[in-house]
Amino acid sequence: MKQISIVCEDRPNLIAEMIETVGREGVNIETLDSDAIHGTVVAVMTVDRYDDALRALAQGGFVAISEEALLIRLEDRPGALAEIAHRFKDADLPLRSVRIIRRSGGTGIVALTTARTDEALALVKDVLIA
Amino acid sequence: MPLPDQDLQRLDDLETTVARETQELLGYPCSAEFDYSPLYRFLRYPMNNVGDPFVESNYKLNTHEFEREVLAEFAELTRAPADHWGYVTNGGTEGNMYGIFLGRELFPDGLVYYSEDTHYSVSKILRCLHVRNIMIKSLPDGRIDLDDLRETVRIHRDVPPIVFANVGTTMKGAVDDLAGIRSILDDLAIQRHYIHADAALHGMLLPFVPDPPPWNFDAGIDSISISGHKLIGSPLPCGVVLALKRNVDRIARSVEYIGTLDTTLSGSRNALTPLFLWHALRSRGREGFRQLIERCLATADHAIGRLEALDLHPWRHENSPIVVFDRPSMPLVRRWQLAVQGRIAHLITMPHVGREHVDRMVASLAADRMAEVSSS
Repeated sequence: MKQISIVCEDRPNLIAEMIETVGREGVNIETLDSDAIHGTVVAVMTVDRYDDALRALAQGGFVAISEEALLIRLEDRPGALAEIAHRFKDADLPLRSVRIIRRSGGTGIVALTTARTDEALALVKDVLIA
Repeated sequence: MPLPDQDLQRLDDLETTVARETQELLGYPCSAEFDYSPLYRFLRYPMNNVGDPFVESNYKLNTHEFEREVLAEFAELTRAPADHWGYVTNGGTEGNMYGIFLGRELFPDGLVYYSEDTHYSVSKILRCLHVRNIMIKSLPDGRIDLDDLRETVRIHRDVPPIVFANVGTTMKGAVDDLAGIRSILDDLAIQRHYIHADAALHGMLLPFVPDPPPWNFDAGIDSISISGHKLIGSPLPCGVVLALKRNVDRIARSVEYIGTLDTTLSGSRNALTPLFLWHALRSRGREGFRQLIERCLATADHAIGRLEALDLHPWRHENSPIVVFDRPSMPLVRRWQLAVQGRIAHLITMPHVGREHVDRMVASLAADRMAEVSSS
């Protein structure tokens, strides 16, 4: 079962909109969890038709992140990202990409990709969202 | 063979739509103020600028000579050294791809640093080129956060940085602090680095304003991409990329069947867009562009005054025609083709946008607000 993470500003009926968006494409949601972090909602869903769900969410205006990326939460201050990068450097685990997904209320949500996801999971377990 | 009547009608309908929508084009940086009718005659020929504009091609139906003149003008405007090279691209994205491509070829293990206000197409380029990358925080005004950049580069100081700098961000028109970026690289004693500048819109503005920030080759960049269809205006998307020739030479590859050394990204290349750019540069001239930009910025100030009256918190960077303000309702965003991001929207006072144009939009914003108040 593949996992999709959706990051967006909290607003009423948000989860219902997500469900409706993928439902319109005939995608079945197997699991759905969500968490609100300082005005940002991070929802994690598993679905039966992964690519269709990703496409539907993106077309519906949602920031949908595939499971290749690890989502972490960071304090929104200079150098916070650098500290995470330092862990990867020390572990000799090159980061493939680092993308800031959203910043609000003093917290940043960041997507990381590396060639060795399992090792990366261990490195960021204290800040891992999904 | 003539088209059937119903197809001709469809084309008439399309023209009506495009002409109408052009009147309400406020949020995107495309100028609609141009007249290239003297060039229409060239639509009758299968012209193609395949290959390097500086190398003679076996395909003779080209406009390489005009393209070189266009590049020479841009080289002067961007203060490129004599050792430069470039070509007319299909738009800013191709120029940015070329810049990052050059950086990656020079430093295959390099890390691209770019700010979160960078245009989304750069993420696609990074994926296409399979280059490692780290997004750096932006300041609220859209410029790259130098503290965040410094700390992140410091950790990877053994890896050559390829800095993707914005000379005018898409949403806020912010110019990254190139002097500050250079200073970080110098402070960290990083000798091997590459700086590409994305100057899509502002690359044709900053040469003509009285006191521009550091933005061009004088500021230490290695390559720059400027759009042609934005401030200059063109019916076809186009742009210019310029780079240091010594870097370009490293990626040159011989392509024998067209008898040219092809260092461009695409094979066949548009031969008409260099003519459009040449026509615009020759007909308007530098003084014409200076006056044009002065007018654009004055219209931006007019828009700020009108939007302030509606308490929509408008602002702009000193040398940018991008006016940022509080996001209006979706029907108005659609009607005026405004670009939006989160809670902000922007309008851009491109050459075709006059004060009356702004006034019409502001009047519709005011009417929308009145309707909202009376319904609540």
